[in-house]
Amino acid sequence: MQVSRVTLRLFLSLHRLYSIFGDLHQIWRAYPFREIIDRARRGVEAIYPADVLKPSIMTLKGADIYSRAKQFATLDELLLLPPAFTPLRLKKMSELLREPLFSDVDLRHKIGGFNAAMPVMAASMGSVHVANKISLEVARGAAKLGIPMGVGENVATTWGYSRRVKANQPCFKERVMTYLEGLEEGYGGVAIQQSVEDAYNELWNRVYSDPDIEPYLKKGMIGFEIKIGQGSKPGLGGEARLTKEDAERLRDKYHFSEDPREVSRGVIERHSAPGTYVPEILRSMVRMMRNNYPRCRVWVKLGPFRDLPDVLNTLLDEGVDAVWIDGKEGGTGMSPYASMRHLGLPLVAALCSVSEFLKSRGRLTSILASGRLFDGGHLVKCLCLGLDGVAFGRPLAVAAWAGGARGVENYLRTVEVEAKMLVSALGKYSINDLSPEDLGCLDRDIAERLGVRYVYS
Amino acid sequence: MSLGYNIRKMELKVDTHLQQLTQILQQSWRHIRTERMKATLKIQQAACDAMRSYLKSVGFMELLPPIIGPVTDPGIRGAKQVTFDYYGREYKVMSSAILYKQAAMSGLGKIFFMSPNIRLEPIDSASSGRHLVEFVQLDLEIANATYFDAMSVAENLLCAAMNTVKDECKRELELLGRELPTFSPPFKKFTYDEVLELLRKNGMKVRYGVEIPWDAEYLISKIMDEPFFIIDYPRGARGFYDREDENRPGILRDFDLIYPEGYGEGASGAEREYRYDRVMARMRETGEDPRKYAWYLEMLREGIPPSAGFGIGVERLTRYLCGLNAVWEARLCPKVAGVYSP
Repeated sequence: MQVSRVTLRLFLSLHRLYSIFGDLHQIWRAYPFREIIDRARRGVEAIYPADVLKPSIMTLKGADIYSRAKQFATLDELLLLPPAFTPLRLKKMSELLREPLFSDVDLRHKIGGFNAAMPVMAASMGSVHVANKISLEVARGAAKLGIPMGVGENVATTWGYSRRVKANQPCFKERVMTYLEGLEEGYGGVAIQQSVEDAYNELWNRVYSDPDIEPYLKKGMIGFEIKIGQGSKPGLGGEARLTKEDAERLRDKYHFSEDPREVSRGVIERHSAPGTYVPEILRSMVRMMRNNYPRCRVWVKLGPFRDLPDVLNTLLDEGVDAVWIDGKEGGTGMSPYASMRHLGLPLVAALCSVSEFLKSRGRLTSILASGRLFDGGHLVKCLCLGLDGVAFGRPLAVAAWAGGARGVENYLRTVEVEAKMLVSALGKYSINDLSPEDLGCLDRDIAERLGVRYVYS
Repeated sequence: MSLGYNIRKMELKVDTHLQQLTQILQQSWRHIRTERMKATLKIQQAACDAMRSYLKSVGFMELLPPIIGPVTDPGIRGAKQVTFDYYGREYKVMSSAILYKQAAMSGLGKIFFMSPNIRLEPIDSASSGRHLVEFVQLDLEIANATYFDAMSVAENLLCAAMNTVKDECKRELELLGRELPTFSPPFKKFTYDEVLELLRKNGMKVRYGVEIPWDAEYLISKIMDEPFFIIDYPRGARGFYDREDENRPGILRDFDLIYPEGYGEGASGAEREYRYDRVMARMRETGEDPRKYAWYLEMLREGIPPSAGFGIGVERLTRYLCGLNAVWEARLCPKVAGVYSP
């Protein structure tokens, strides 16, 4: 009896305490106190998601874009809708002389002039510490699976072209050759970006006249990628945080707002310009690439811009090999909060433009999507919308940190198996048969723009 | 006018050709003792002398060519520049002295250099018969001139060289088994669009907007029996210094001089874009960092006269005059892409 009264009293006081905290928490939540205090304490540094973690871990983990920003629609708004009647399964059965299984799905696909064992590419990761450090594991894993790989900007300028400038950081050519030499005959291809600073050192010219890369040029396995913006910060240039030591070494190559030698902080931001484009400039750029590098594929990475259809039209007129569209969910490792919250189209909105575009102009070039995509379902949904594949960035980096090249391989295998399962569930065995009929959407407006059924209608 | 020209066959020949070429070039010091090479260099000298005296007779001044500098010509079709350490800063070896030509012209009006250039060409150029890593071009620039003025100088220059060689090098030409015809300017001019159409009729599709690829250029050069010009390339096919026609947006006021008999491009020129803001916008297209061109942009901002000019490759001219198989035969100890030789 006595015991239960004590328990009850304890419970009541705990509850009171809880409601006091609850009220406080609500007041706290009702206004962005934390954010403002953070800004007041840390100054301009607070505009980046650095929080309590080391910057490198933040870069790897990506920012919490869903709770910080107003919720927007994602690919979860779409469902894959299998039919009961499956004429294509019957066709496959007569071809195989047995009931087809999910393992009979053929995922091989041509992406931007490269042969891919499945329609996935390892996204162009750049020179940022964490990304570069595991880049060889990503290269090995991607090569093993036979998927194309991108190499992002500034790698050669920051970490050296063919010789390491820092013992624990792979250089540019190591990344490229590890990948190319790990490939199985007949698969893969590498798309290489060049920033203004890389151009100063003539990265593309250097690649194009490199005797070790020559055999792969001959096979059409080298592409050069123009980068117009990034997912989470369209319209802004690259932002990177360098150690003071690296910044001092690179002070002639990049633009620093302060002289790295005179800064006492351990970490210094480097900003680069977003690049200036008008249709004429972009057109001439593509021509210049065709002209100077006739044996290379031309790839374009595009941020989630509102004039996406205009840009796609220009690119298609010039006949680029692939366009890769990064939704605002992509590349959140080192973007200011303000851009993640306020800038750019969510991937689904960008895909609406793409699907309308595909309807009017047809499939004339490979189009890929990226931005928080990480499983077989995301891949299959994109394929149903008429895209040629997806690009994975952060998932491969995390897999590499967790399990090395083996981790990357394991991770990609899960995507492969999931994709095969889902495609077979739709009664299809070739990705060319996938179409918007296989999709349903939970939102009426999005359904209409994507040209798929509204699930509740 | 069809040739049944097979590109695939050429591809097959390339690899074996490259091995043979490497063997030959590794003993290049021996070539100078052959009668063939002696005759070739004699003809080269006669041609150079003729071009020099022609240019001087019409008021050009010859200058010593700058060989190194903070920047060089970026419009060199995928070839890499040579960069070296210059007292702690980066310097380039001239891939062409185009930027210095404009500087010189602004003071002297009509100028030329015999300019040694280095371009680390892509390895697939080794078997083209038309590319050298180290070569010399006669590079000239004329203040307040149009590209038609420049073409007129180019055709007279070529005829001066040909006529002199025919007069003075009869024995050498005979030894090489070469008969040179006589041409009289003006040469025919075809626009880029017309050439594409002509190629299309001969079953060769060329993507609009790029420079005419080697195999297509070979074909068209083979069809013609006289040197000719290709003019009006589309924007995007050339460096930032070729001037865009104000009345025809997207078209550049530039030209290539093409030798007949399959020898291909011999000279390349244009009216220059000399306005600061236009050059800045064009630099963006090539992904160039304007900071790198600080001195040049500073010069343009101060203002220079409009001009036109061209460069004519001495080894390619020699190849044509002598009827050589490859351009490397026109040089002592030639350097060809990817081949390590004396």
